Amino acid sequence: MRGIYYQLKNIRRDKMCILSFLLPVIVGLAINLLSDVSFSTLGEMAFGIVQNDLTEEMADWVEQNGSVTLYEDMDGLQKAIIDPATQMIGVVRDGGTIKAILSGDEFQLYKTIGDKLPQLFEEREAMNAVTIEVHSAQRDNLLLKSLLIAITMVTAMFMGCTFNAMSIIGEKEDGISFINEILPMTQQEYVFQKISLGLVSGILSTVATAFVCMRIEIGQLFPLLLLIVLSAFISALIGMYIGRFSSGLMVGIVYIKMIMIFFIAPPILFYLMVPADSIGRILSYLLPSSATFYGLMEMMNGREQNISTYLAVLLIHCVAWLLIYFITGYRRKKVYRV
Amino acid sequence: MEYSFLSLLKKDFKMMLSSKFLLLIIGSLVLYSLYINLVYIKTDQAIYPVYLFDPAESIENASSQIIRVDNMEELQLRTSDGYAVGIDATGAEPKIIMVASGLDSSDQIRTAYALSLLSPGQSTPAEVIGQNSKEMKSRREITSEFLFFELAAVGFLGLASTLFKEKHMGVIRIHGVMPISKSLFIFSKLILFLLADLVFAFLLTVINLGLATGLSVLPAILVQTVILSIIMALVGFFCAAWLPDFRQFSLLYLVLAIFITTPVFLVGQTSITWNWINYHPMYHLFMAIKNAYFEMPIGETVYYIVCVVFIVALFLVAHKTLTREMAKEG
Repeated sequence: MRGIYYQLKNIRRDKMCILSFLLPVIVGLAINLLSDVSFSTLGEMAFGIVQNDLTEEMADWVEQNGSVTLYEDMDGLQKAIIDPATQMIGVVRDGGTIKAILSGDEFQLYKTIGDKLPQLFEEREAMNAVTIEVHSAQRDNLLLKSLLIAITMVTAMFMGCTFNAMSIIGEKEDGISFINEILPMTQQEYVFQKISLGLVSGILSTVATAFVCMRIEIGQLFPLLLLIVLSAFISALIGMYIGRFSSGLMVGIVYIKMIMIFFIAPPILFYLMVPADSIGRILSYLLPSSATFYGLMEMMNGREQNISTYLAVLLIHCVAWLLIYFITGYRRKKVYRV
Repeated sequence: MEYSFLSLLKKDFKMMLSSKFLLLIIGSLVLYSLYINLVYIKTDQAIYPVYLFDPAESIENASSQIIRVDNMEELQLRTSDGYAVGIDATGAEPKIIMVASGLDSSDQIRTAYALSLLSPGQSTPAEVIGQNSKEMKSRREITSEFLFFELAAVGFLGLASTLFKEKHMGVIRIHGVMPISKSLFIFSKLILFLLADLVFAFLLTVINLGLATGLSVLPAILVQTVILSIIMALVGFFCAAWLPDFRQFSLLYLVLAIFITTPVFLVGQTSITWNWINYHPMYHLFMAIKNAYFEMPIGETVYYIVCVVFIVALFLVAHKTLTREMAKEG
């Protein structure tokens, strides 16, 4: 316990460190403040029309099918269509019907709809003839917002990793690591002290972020906490690895940056693109952050039937990486003593 | 004068090598290029899948886009994601079954699209007015993002970490008594890191856009790289000279960079519009790089004037901080 006290004393003076743990919480607050409106327009089909071009009936129909932006002349519309940031479909009058204008770089969804738009307009009467059964979704499904929250929380968990890595690199650069070698302290004790600090701070930061931006039900509380603890443990452990393998500050930053990208980007892609019950999904569990990410997303969408799988995957990662750390550490020590 | 500048350059280059800065550049280059070529250019948003349950085969002219299912449960299951649309053709009239997407207009167009697949109707294809294919657009888009992030986050840390190391080693104190101008001290670092950034921008662009397109957009990109690189390097110089505990700051900065650049990317790359983003200086720098990649006109003269004024001001601040640090060191 005394060791942990010294470690705490070591970081107490470090205001930057405390600030970086607060950062995800602040970002969580900011995400909450962003209005839902600006996010929901993202999923909407965007149409652009020119003033005094479409008939009233056409304009009404276009408005029913997506958000409409009005442009003064054709020039403005063409610029907006070509703008690579949007997937806007231009709609102009073509005799008695309408015609779509695309820039040619759209996703398949927008391209198909653009090509089919005149037909959809012509067949608009058919809509009235059929029965439409729309089941309402269980929760308001703002995918982008959930994604942002999940990213912020994974970053918060990652704090433990960066903290441990930086602290060990600092000790290396200042020569404290040599002093550690001769202190009456086993490797286990050292690892325990370092991990517990990274773990506790990662957990605190993540829990605060979750509190700020997730709506959690009582039943979800325990699995969520378990998910956070296990993930924060893995991240603290990875910080130990980075600390061990990097010789200086710059190399440490390289590793942290790469692992950060590697931990955040692939799970988002897997989540969006790999079907839930495919082999790809199972393979993605090789990356511990995938399980964390899926778990968080499912909790935010109010479905958590797979949560035990995710917890099991995380637990396996914890044990495996800890064992590897000790085994390789033992070998290194032996090499040095020879 | 010339000789001392050359030896300064030589020393800084050695520092750069020993801090493994070049390793960082090459590592990032490989990582980004792999991501772009293996993952990013393949992302796409598919059209709504339409499932049809039609045991009596009553619909004859259905489009080949429709996926037929064998029973009602399967239809319900496949259409439960709020994206796919189901058609139940067991009754006299086809019935649309789907889960709400949360937007009435999206539900409307999903329905209209699903119905249109039931008949072989003809449609005038959309007029295409852009120059880019989807793949080329994705390449330009993501390459501009990576270049911007790399210059903003890592360009800053590169110079700052070298200077911080020198500070630790007492180099600043030695320079206080040496007959070398402080401007040269700053210049030699700026030039080296600028060169490294230019090489990085060149390689990243040519590798990911291809030689022909890459070379045609390169002049505009290199101009923007120079502006952003000098600004970030000067900010880094200032921070490393001024802050006593730069190591902790670097950690904070890496995280900060992600959070600062995210809204910029969101507004720059999607249809989200926030008016306050105009007051975000990074937004204008990013848009300049992005426009350079898309061969679009970049900012007005005002933009360049502001950049130059900003760079001169930063240089003066960095110079002053260095003088102060030297005075402090004795």
